[in-house]
Order: sequence, then C-alpha cells, then structure tokens
Amino acid sequence: MSDEEHHFESKADAGASKTYPQQAGTIRKNGYIVIKNRPCKVVEVSTSKTGKHGHAKCHFVGIDIFNGKKQEDIVPSSHNCDVPHVTRTDYQLIDISEDGFVSLLTDSGGTKDDLRLPTDESLLSQIKDGFAEGKDLVVTVMSSMGEEQICALKDIGPKN
Amino acid sequence: MQRSPNDLSQLQATMRAIEVACSSIQMMVNRAEAEATILSLCQSPQPYQACQYILENSQMPNARFQAATAIRDAAIRDYCLCYVMQRASSPEGYVQAKVSAAAAQLMKRGWLEFSAAEKETFLSEVKQATLGIHGADVQFIGIKLMESLVSEFSLSTSTAMGLPAEFHDQCQKSMELEYLKTFYCWARDAASSVTNKILDSDSPVPETKVCTAALRLMLQILNWDFRYSKNGLESAKGKKNVFSAQVGNDNNLSRRSECTIVQPGPVWHDVLISSGHIGWLLSFYGALRQKFSCEGFWLDCPLAVSARKLIVQFCSLKGNIFHSDIGQMQENHLLQLLSGIMQWINPPDEVSKAIESGKSESEMLDGCRALLSIATVTTPVVFDQLLKSISPFGTLTLLSALMCEVLKVLMVRNAEEETWSWVARDLLLDTWTALLVSIESGGETGLLPAVGRNAASNVFSLIVESELKAASASAFSDDMASDYFQASASAMDERLSSYALIGRASIDITIPLLTNLFNERVARLHQGRGITDPTVTLEELYSMLLIIGHVLADEGEGETPLVPKAIQTQHVASGESEKHPVVVLSSSILNFAKQSLDSEMRASIFSPRLMEAITWFLARWSSTYLMPSEETGESNSGSCYDNNHMVQSSVSSKAFLIFGEHNQGKSVLDLVVHIATTTLVSYPGEKDLQALTCYHLLHALVRRRNVCVHLVGLDSWRRLANAFANERLLFTLYSAHQRSLAQTLVVSASGIKNPEASNQYVRDLMCHMTNYLMELSSKNDLKIVAHQPDVILLVSCLLERLRGAARATEPRMQKAIYEMGSTVMNSILIFLEVYKHEFAVVYLLLKFVVDWVDGQIIYLEAQETAGVVNFCMRLLQLYSSHNIGKISLSISSSLLSEAKTEKYKDLRALLQLLANLCSKDLVDFSSDSPETPGTNISQVVYFGLCIVIPLISLDLLKYPKLCHDFFSLLSHLLEVYPEMVAQLNDEAFSHVLGTLDFGLHHQDMEVVDMCLRALKALASYHYKETTVGKVGLGTRAAGSKDQNGQMSEGIFGRFLRTLLHLVLFEDYSTDLVSAAADALLPLILCEQSLYQRLGNELIERQVNPAFKSRLANALQCLTSSNQLSFTLDRMNYQRFRKNLINFLVEVRGFLRTIKILVLFPVLFVCKSVLQTSRIQDPGRILFEKIYPKQVK
Repeated sequence: MSDEEHHFESKADAGASKTYPQQAGTIRKNGYIVIKNRPCKVVEVSTSKTGKHGHAKCHFVGIDIFNGKKQEDIVPSSHNCDVPHVTRTDYQLIDISEDGFVSLLTDSGGTKDDLRLPTDESLLSQIKDGFAEGKDLVVTVMSSMGEEQICALKDIGPKN
Repeated sequence: MQRSPNDLSQLQATMRAIEVACSSIQMMVNRAEAEATILSLCQSPQPYQACQYILENSQMPNARFQAATAIRDAAIRDYCLCYVMQRASSPEGYVQAKVSAAAAQLMKRGWLEFSAAEKETFLSEVKQATLGIHGADVQFIGIKLMESLVSEFSLSTSTAMGLPAEFHDQCQKSMELEYLKTFYCWARDAASSVTNKILDSDSPVPETKVCTAALRLMLQILNWDFRYSKNGLESAKGKKNVFSAQVGNDNNLSRRSECTIVQPGPVWHDVLISSGHIGWLLSFYGALRQKFSCEGFWLDCPLAVSARKLIVQFCSLKGNIFHSDIGQMQENHLLQLLSGIMQWINPPDEVSKAIESGKSESEMLDGCRALLSIATVTTPVVFDQLLKSISPFGTLTLLSALMCEVLKVLMVRNAEEETWSWVARDLLLDTWTALLVSIESGGETGLLPAVGRNAASNVFSLIVESELKAASASAFSDDMASDYFQASASAMDERLSSYALIGRASIDITIPLLTNLFNERVARLHQGRGITDPTVTLEELYSMLLIIGHVLADEGEGETPLVPKAIQTQHVASGESEKHPVVVLSSSILNFAKQSLDSEMRASIFSPRLMEAITWFLARWSSTYLMPSEETGESNSGSCYDNNHMVQSSVSSKAFLIFGEHNQGKSVLDLVVHIATTTLVSYPGEKDLQALTCYHLLHALVRRRNVCVHLVGLDSWRRLANAFANERLLFTLYSAHQRSLAQTLVVSASGIKNPEASNQYVRDLMCHMTNYLMELSSKNDLKIVAHQPDVILLVSCLLERLRGAARATEPRMQKAIYEMGSTVMNSILIFLEVYKHEFAVVYLLLKFVVDWVDGQIIYLEAQETAGVVNFCMRLLQLYSSHNIGKISLSISSSLLSEAKTEKYKDLRALLQLLANLCSKDLVDFSSDSPETPGTNISQVVYFGLCIVIPLISLDLLKYPKLCHDFFSLLSHLLEVYPEMVAQLNDEAFSHVLGTLDFGLHHQDMEVVDMCLRALKALASYHYKETTVGKVGLGTRAAGSKDQNGQMSEGIFGRFLRTLLHLVLFEDYSTDLVSAAADALLPLILCEQSLYQRLGNELIERQVNPAFKSRLANALQCLTSSNQLSFTLDRMNYQRFRKNLINFLVEVRGFLRTIKILVLFPVLFVCKSVLQTSRIQDPGRILFEKIYPKQVK
C-alpha cells in the first residue's frame, strides 16, 4: 500500500484542487461527477458498447447539486471523468439578516457572514420558520467548485 | 312499493301457510302435507312476489329459507333457461354467453342440495335441446349451456361465489363422476347428427355452428382436470394416491408449451377408444378437407380449427384408459391419429413450399403440436416405430426432415420474427426436448435408436448453421438488447438447452462438427489479422461458444453439475483419452482462450464481448470437467446404470479424467486463473466482463474444496492475491467487484489444510487494508483530506473489500476475520463521524458492520461479544445523533427523493444489524458455558431499537422492505422478551405502541399478522404476570391520569377497542382471523370490564330488535361456548379461534351492511342496462369497469 501512502502525503495542500480524475467505470450511483463543468450527483449509470465488439462506455445521468438541473454524459468507461471535491460543513445558525444573508458560527468561534439564503421560497421558509420558532439550528453548508449552499438543517433542541 | 289490500292479504295467507308448513316439518307432524305446501310455492309459476314478501316479513328463519330457495329455483327455471332458449337465434352471442354463465352459476349454487330428480328435469331439457329436435339454434344453445356448466364446475375456471373450496371440490367430483361422460356423448351425438348435412351442402349451413360448438365442448371436456376417475381402483384405496402418483412424473413433461396430458381413466375407454369415435373424427376432417381443398381460407375457419384441436388433444391421451397390454393399444391409437395427421405435414418440403406460397400454416402447426403431444406420451423408440408400419421411414426421420425444412425457411427469412417458421421451430424443438429429456433423466430406455441419432445429428448441423448465419447477420446491428451478455444469454438459454439435448444425442458426430467449425473460424481470424474486419467471425465465435457451452455442460444452479449423462454414456470409437471428441473440443477452446494472454493478440482479436463468452464458457466448463471429484463420478454411474452402460460410462469418465487433479487439471486451472486475471487487469472499465469473471468464473472455481486445495498452491493465484492486497491496479475495478474478489480470495483459504495457516492467509491478505484504514483514521488532518474524491474512493473500495471478506466467514477462518473487524472498529466510528454527510460511505460502513456481525456473532466468546455489542451501540448512537431531526434541503425533488431512499437503506441496514445481534440468543457456538454471565442481548437490542425507532418516520415505513424488516424485528422482540417493554422509557414506549397501531392498519397482511402476534405476546405476558400477583406492565397497562385529571385508558384497553373495531367493521383477509383471535383473547382477559361495556354499547347501537338479540347471543357465545376458560393455554386459544370464526360468520353480515348496500344498486344498474340497452356495449363496459372494483 506504499503507493497510496505516498499519494496520501502529497495531498498535504488539500483543497487546492477543485476536481479529481477518476475512471468512469468506477463511478457509482450516488457518487459525484462533473458534467459540463457543473458538480452533479449521479442518479443513474448504465453501460453500453460502441458496436457489438467495441469497448464499454458509461452513460451518466446527474443532477446538479446546486441548481437541481439534470445533466447527461457518455464517457468510454476506461477514460477518466472529473469528480468534484464536495465538502459539507456544519455551522450553528446565529442570525438571519434582513438583506438575505445568514450569520453562522464556525468551529473556531468566528462568524461567517457571506452566505446568502436560498431564493427558493419553500427552502427559505423551512429555514426561516425553524429559526423563528426559536429552535437551535445547525445548518450544513455544501461547497464545491467555488459555490456554496445550505443543503441541510438540523434541530439540536430548544435554545437554552 | 304500494300493494293493493287484496294482494296483501293473499300474500299474508301464503306466508302463514308456509310458516305453518315449516313448523310442522320441524315438529314432525303432517310431514307430507307440509312438504306439498312448500313444493307448491316452488312450483308456482310466479313465486317472486310471495317469496319477497316472506323474506321481508316473516319472523321465522325456516320460512325465509324456503322462500329464498324457491326464488332461486324459479330463477333458474324461468329466467335463465327460458331466456336463453327463447332467444336462441338472437345475434348477440356474448349476452347469451353471460346469461348461460349465470344459469350455470345458479345451478352450481344449488347443486349439492338438488335431488337427482331435480337435476334430471333440468338436464333433460338441455338434452332435448342438444338432440336438435327444436332446430339448430336451440341445439347450439344447449351445447353452449353445457359448456358453461363444465367451465363453472371445473376448479380452474369456476367463479368463487363466496363459497368454501370444499363446495367447489364436491361439485367438481359430482360433475366428473356423474355427468361429464354423458355430456361428452351428447356433444358427440350432436356433432355426428349434423355431419351429413355439412358434408352434403355446398353453402354454409347453421349446422356448422352446432358442429363447431360440439367439437369445442368435447375439447373442453378432454381438458378437464381428471382427478377421481383417473386412477380407478387406486383412488378407492386412499386419497394419497391422487396426489403422489402423478406429481413427480408429469413435472418435466407438462411444463412444455401447449401440451397437457389427458388422463381420464378406464371408464372413458368405451366412449373414446373402442367406439370408433376417433376414426369418425379423422374421416370427417379428411372429408371436409377434401371438399374444401380449393378454398385456402377453410383451414382457418372455426370448424376446421376445433376439429384439429380435438385431434391434437387425442394425441395426448395417456394412462389406464388404455388396457395394460404393454402399450399395444396406445400404439394403435396413436398410429391411427398419426396416419390422419400425416397429410398435414408430409412431405415436409411440399408442405413448406405451399405455405411459403400463401397457404395457411395453421394445419402444419397443428401437425407439429400433435407430434409434440405424441412425443410427450411415448418413449423415443415407440415414437420412431409408429410410422414404420405404414411408411418406409420412422417418425424420427420425419421429425428431422420437418425440422430441417423449417430451419431452411428460417435461414432465408432471417430477420423477421414471429413468422410461422419461428413457431414451428419452437414446437419441433419442444418435441425433440420431450423425446430427449426422458433419456437425459435416465429413466427410460437409455439411448435413441441409431436412426434417431442420425436424424438428430442432421438437425443439429442445420441448427448450428442457422445460428451462425443469424450471428453473422446481426454482427453489425446495434441492437441494444443483445449488447448485454447476461440478457442475451438468458433469453436464448431455453432454446440453447434444447439445442444441447439434440447435440448430445450423437456426440460422435456433433462434437467433431463443432470442433471443425470452431477451428475454421479461429483459423479465419488468424489469417485475416490486421487485414480484414474480424467482427463477423467474432460474432460467430461468440455464438458458437454459447452453443458449445450448453452442449458440453449443464448449468450447476449452485450444485456441482456432473458430466451430462448422454455424454457420459455414449460409446465413442476413439480409444485414447486425448482423442475423445469432448476432450478434443475442450482443448481447442482452451488453446484459443490461452491466446488472449498475449497482448498483441488480445488487441486484435479478443474483443470484450468475445472475452465475455470465453469467461462464461470457462466458468460453465470448469464446474463440470475441471478436477471432477473422482468418487462421485463412479458412485453415480454405478447406481444408475446396468453393467453394460457402466463399462461405457467408465470409458468416458476416464477420458475426462484428463482434466483431473493428477493429470492436466493443474495446468488448466493455472490457465483459467491467468485468463481471469487478464480480464480484470487488461480490460479497464469493462464492467460486464469483469462481473462475469468475479461472479461466475472465480466463484465457480472456489466453490469446490478440492479445487481450492490446488488453487492456493498456484503461483498465478498467489500473484492475484498479492496484487489485490498490495498493488494499486485492482482499485480501478468497480467497487462491488472488489467486494466479490475479496470474498473469493478469502474462501480459497479453505483449501489450506492447516487451520492456523488458513487464518494466516487471510491475515496476510487483509492486513494492509486494515492498517491503511487505521492510519488514515488517526491522521490529524483527516477532516481535510477525507473529503477528497480520491480518498473517498479508496476508503469505499477498502470497505467493500472488508465487507467481501466478512461475508466469506467460515469456522476455519473465523478468527482472522474477527481480528480484521475488531482492529478497525475504532476507525469505523471515526469514519462515521467524518463522513456523516457522505451517504455512500456511511452506507458502506453500516453494511460492513452488518455483514461482519452476521458472520461472527454466533462464534464469539462472552468478552468478545461484549466488545462487539458495545461497538454496535456506539455506532447506532452516533448514527442517530447525526441524523435525528435532520432535514435535507434541495431545490431538486429527485435529489430529495434520493436522500429519502438513502435514509431508508441506512435504516434497513441498522435493523438488520439488530436482527443479527438477536440471533446470538438463538444460536451460540461459543465455548462459554450457559452459566457464564454474558451480555444481555435482549436489553441491548431494545436499547438499539429505541435509538432506531425515532429515526423511522411513518413516511419511511412506506418502503415495503423496511416496513417488513421493522415489524418482524419488533414482533420478534415483543414475543421473545415482552418483559423488556416494561423497562422502556415513556417516549420509546409510546413509539413502540404507535407503530404497532400503525401496523395493525397496514395493507400488507404479513405486517398486520406480525403486529397481532406482538399484541398477543404483550397481553398474554401481562395477564399471566398479574394472575400470579406480579405487576406485569404495571402502570402502563392500568392507564393514568393526565394533567387535566382525566383518566386515560391503559394500552390494553386501547388495543382492545382497535382490534374489535378492526375485526367487526373493517376489511381484512380471512387468513388473519386466527391471529386476531390469538391477540383478542388475552386482551379481553386483561380488560374484562371494558369488554363488557363495549359489547353492551355494540348491542345498544342496533336498531333492529332481531339483530339486537342475535348480536347479544353471539357475544354471549363468543366468550362462553366451547368450554372456554380463563387460562391462556394452547387448548383455550384454539377454542377461542373457533368461537371467533363462528361469531364473525354470524354477525359481520349485518354489522357491515353499509358497504353491501352500495354494491347492490350498481349491480342492478348493470342488469337493467344489460336487459334494455339496444346498444351492445354499455352493459359489458359497466360490468367490466364497475364489477371488479366492487368485488375488491
């Protein structure tokens, strides 16, 4: 396994790269993939061949993780695809400002104030309602390829 | 409805008379007079009004009963019969069909109560009709009515009518024994009465319709599932024979298409065989055929079709209808039929030419069906002999010639599917199969006669030719369906197995043929390398490998397949093993496959698809021929064959030993492993190919211990294992394939003799992976690097591999696999934290733990168990803390539903984990004595359940599998450890009860059943505890005061209400009644006063005084009849079940009137539409659309 360890160490500057190459044949449903320069979640993979005695190719159907749009791509399965680096970070929700920004508490005790609320009404109300009820909310922020968005909400009990 | 006073008084008088008559019958006075009174009611011309009045007004059940009977009789007599007979000439056939079906149903309802004389009256009317005295139309209707009767009385086509199965059985028996033969004779007489008219007339006559209907009825009767008359004497001896005599024998024969065996038994001999009936039928058809020979359409007209169908049906007569004269009578019978059928199919070339130039194919196809039927009821030798007495060639020769003709036509018009030649080919293939299967299963005479083998080999060579042609024609088509190996192979599988049977019939000819064809193609590939496009040849080789694989070996289906008997027992001239045709062919293919190891050859010849075929072939071939365990070969041949065969078979088995352990076996095994490795390493991204290698080929190799012994000693295997454990290359495989590979490699360790060595083998294989996971999990910057896609991929692959290894747990390697898991337990918890948002990884973590615990738990010692259980609980808590109260937000609905599915899969895994932990209490192989204080599994599992339950929303329970798993775990826990419920905290307790309540109203019967079992367990536990003075479920059962001082009901009270409501008012399957009774009894015992109150309420709610008293009685009986006592033993449960069933039968009818009232008006609308509408469709549409819904 020395090979991997070497590889492992070389990524000390982790986070620098936005995407990683990965062989198309190894990408599974529920994984991530970059299609047309957008980070997508794979919801369907199927394989076919180029002609009866040709090589396999993979057909991916992905959903853009930020805007929910459907994307499709066909790649020879021995070729590499780009896989996005997706991270999710939990923050405690401190405040929702008038101008559509949230104020979040980071692990290190600082605040993060540059994240906009989603524009979609139903998502917006789910966040606002919970906050208005005085619940202690943790939001999960998903970020990938330079974009950020709140992707989940968790109630960790009433405010003390 | 208003009635005039005069009418009313008359009706009252009638009612009184009937009531008096009924009571005098009961009291046994003036019996004759009373009977006469009742009979007069039945026979009065229009009894409806009187009967209706009695039904509505009489207080006497007996009188109401008589009235109902009278209505029914009148309805049959007046309405249905008259309606049908009078409108005999009406053109709306389907209305008549419906009415005669109704008449048949009415007849059947009363069948067991009618006296013989009553039936006689009815049937004599039918008989009169069929004789043709009232003209052809009535004759036709009479036959149709019999058809309805027969189909109503046959079990498979009867209407349920809400009557018990036993009733249907008795009706069927009565019909079969008393009337079926009579009906048959009437139909036969009707048919023969009109034949002359049909033959003499030049224009269509109405008698044609009669004749067709009669033939159809005869066919229908011959299709009857004869049960009672079949075995004659035997069935009189005991019922058992009815079942045991036939089952095994018919199985493989009757599964064939369109072929049912007709076994009416000896009583039918006179009608069917000795009466000359068949001769009449054949000559009738022959005469008609002659007469209409110039009119091509005639072959497809209903009369011709039904006559042919009947003839074909006669071909499948079997059993003791023929006297036991060594089959002579049956042979004569078949010969007679065959000589009639000959003109349909012989000479084959002319027949096929005629069809190609426009003649209808239906007669020829029926001829093929007849051959199939004959083949099904005879042995190959008899089959062949049949024709010899009337023609220069045997039946097998004819069959082969026919098949060849069909194949030739098929080759010319290759592309079109579903033409007559396809149908004919499938029918004839089935015929061959029927003949050859009896040989393969070893029961019958052994081999085909020599001429048959020739015929078979001719057919086989044409089959191969046509398949090759089809392959080359499709080589460039981009047909999606055939792109996938799996799909195309299984779709062709059935056809290929038939080919294989034919091919195996004469291996000395067919196998060398296959060898030549194969070698030719291989040579062509080599010559054309780099010059011509190989695609066509590749596709031909692909197709050949499939055929050869089927001919040489059987599918194991999990067992170790032996060399097919036909191959094992056939005498082959060549003396030396190396020259045995099977050995030669196998070697050719192995040599060809070996060339794929060369990278240049691989690039130019071995396409992924060809490799798929090779891999599939190697898997199938190796299971049979590679290192066969020698003992099994001999003991098998010894037991099944006589001496003569044994000599031959041992010659063949010896030949195959060339691939055995002491011969070439090792080198062939080495080659196979090399090829497998090549497909994994040198075909990047070819998922389908690699799936075949992992799931088929490698699994097949490690399935047998004796192969594993050699496998672990091979360098090639060691290299594969080493590459897997230490190199990066195999990480490019699809991760699920890596799991399978890990499993295979671990299983192969069972081939190492010394247990310690096999444990060491597993440790060596897995230690790098576990070490890597441990190192990674202890990195300081784990949080940062963990989410890099390459790290995620690596972790996922490693987890899949660990899971694969865990699934391979066997006692021999258990230690090493336990260590593997326990070293990473901590890392797993760390990963669960780090990857809490990464569903794919979380799921793999959970699944690994599930499989590992499943394999290990029963072997673990007390201390180990404690560790594992503790780990599982931490895992559950951690998972719960991440997910409870979490809401996914996404603009995309499909991402949201994905998130839901992910949650569902996780939870299912968690439930499986709990269920696996439970199994420790059931099976335990540890060395601890039972007294050793161990982990309290029940406590642990309940604790786990309390963690999991809040995560399961009612929404998630809509996933059927999750729902099922959840309730089976819940009911298991409540049944085995009811005492634990008392210790649950309030929240968990109300969760458990809430889900039980939800489950009781679930649609899935099994879920309801499980909930009822759980309820029973809870209530009976509480009752038993409290009767001996303990607390049972204590305050929870007793109910409590809430904040407002209101008394809230205890749980058993709540469930008693729910269950009573369910049982009385809701729809459920009757299969649930017993389970409901089992739950209801302890609930009633727990809450006796509430039960009394509920019962009284129920009675008070009834307005109708009659119902009121019936309900009160029924409730009384429910708890008091059958000596029901206050104990909860088996006996008492059984009694209560009976009581509940009786109770429900008595009261559910009137308690649930509302729904029935809804149903009736709809039926009346249908009926009136049917009667009055001039347009033909509305009635039918209404019936079809509304009726099924209401029935539901």
